[in-house]
Amino acid sequence: MPSLKDIKTQINSVGSTKKITSAMKMVAASKLRRSQEKAEAARPYSSRLEEMLASLASSASSGEGIIKLLTGTGNDQNYIVLPVSADRGLCGGFNSSINRETFKLVKSLKSDGKNVQIMPVGKKSRDFFNRVMKDQITESFVDLNISNTGYESALKVSNKLQELYFEGKFDKCILVFNKFKSAISQEVTQQQLIPLDISDSSKEENVDDSAAKAIYDYEPDEETILKDLLPKNVSIQIFKVLLESDAGEHGARMAAMDNATRNAGEMIDSLTLKYNRTRQAFITKELIEIISGAESI
Amino acid sequence: MATISFDLVSPENLIFNDEVGMIIVPGKDGDFGVLPGHSKVMSSLRPGRVMVYGEDKNLLKAFFVSGGFAEVNPEKCIVLAESVDEINTIEKPSIEKEIEELSGQETDAAKEQLAIAKAKIVALDSSFYEKI
Repeated sequence: MPSLKDIKTQINSVGSTKKITSAMKMVAASKLRRSQEKAEAARPYSSRLEEMLASLASSASSGEGIIKLLTGTGNDQNYIVLPVSADRGLCGGFNSSINRETFKLVKSLKSDGKNVQIMPVGKKSRDFFNRVMKDQITESFVDLNISNTGYESALKVSNKLQELYFEGKFDKCILVFNKFKSAISQEVTQQQLIPLDISDSSKEENVDDSAAKAIYDYEPDEETILKDLLPKNVSIQIFKVLLESDAGEHGARMAAMDNATRNAGEMIDSLTLKYNRTRQAFITKELIEIISGAESI
Repeated sequence: MATISFDLVSPENLIFNDEVGMIIVPGKDGDFGVLPGHSKVMSSLRPGRVMVYGEDKNLLKAFFVSGGFAEVNPEKCIVLAESVDEINTIEKPSIEKEIEELSGQETDAAKEQLAIAKAKIVALDSSFYEKI
């Protein structure tokens, strides 16, 4: 049976853990608010860019050069996968779900006979893939610190990606990231970044007024605009994903730390109960000893 | 008088969103003014000034954009800019310093930055469109 002192030490250490987790929860909550605002502020740009692209894309045919970002290389042999994780842990299943999903994706692509490269974004996924699939990592990005550096760091990722694409290193690029649904829930999502996948929402809207959209004047001309717009779209999509993942990270950490704080509280309660019981047992034992001592005289 | 809805967005932010009387946009091939009922145009932009006017053609705001795109239809004008500064927040000395630092460099990125910085100076100095 543990002594009273042992239990007391345990209570104290759980108590200080509780303090830490509840402080981390507060920090995450305030960071969450900020990064959520940023993610929302970025939304108008990307949605409008998508609209513009959707109306342009209908007129684009396959071609060489930058247009390949839209039409693809015509191959689908080489894949590159970008798992977007956080740089830091202690945020529940946030990072491990990304790693698991990416791992599954890579496995299934490989079993279809494709070549897969991995380009982890964030320390946690880099460390994971360094352990399990070291030979397939082409490049990794850590410490992007998106909430402070903003668009610049998204540009870094996107420039590298486009450089590799035009060298013909891969045909398709897939992002795996945590989509920010609400402060307490994130959803692991896969998004095809290159070639551009316009089959989602923007295209449906486009069907209704495609006749109206077709009569735009283009200045200087359609192709030049498309050439500017496509690389930008890649950067913006990455930027959006990084922001969402950042907001999701803080949300996940907040939830995880909230749980940890609650668990610590419960643990303290049960330890206190044990402490009191043990103390009572000692007192009773001592009483019995005194009484039986007195009786024997 | 009729108004046109104008959005100025940068990747980080929605900077301006209101009903205005007229906008002058620095298109790649030259500045163009957008009035309510303008025909549909999609244009890429060069570094320059975006001027926003109220209903009675008084200048409301002047921005510097470093490039981007504009989409215009009869009811709405959207400018997607890469980076946006309000003209009166730009400090000339710091830009001149930037130009000095950049002028020696040979990389493409530096040259691009230099062009933008030079365009900023031009934008600061020019007084076109301030009164119409």
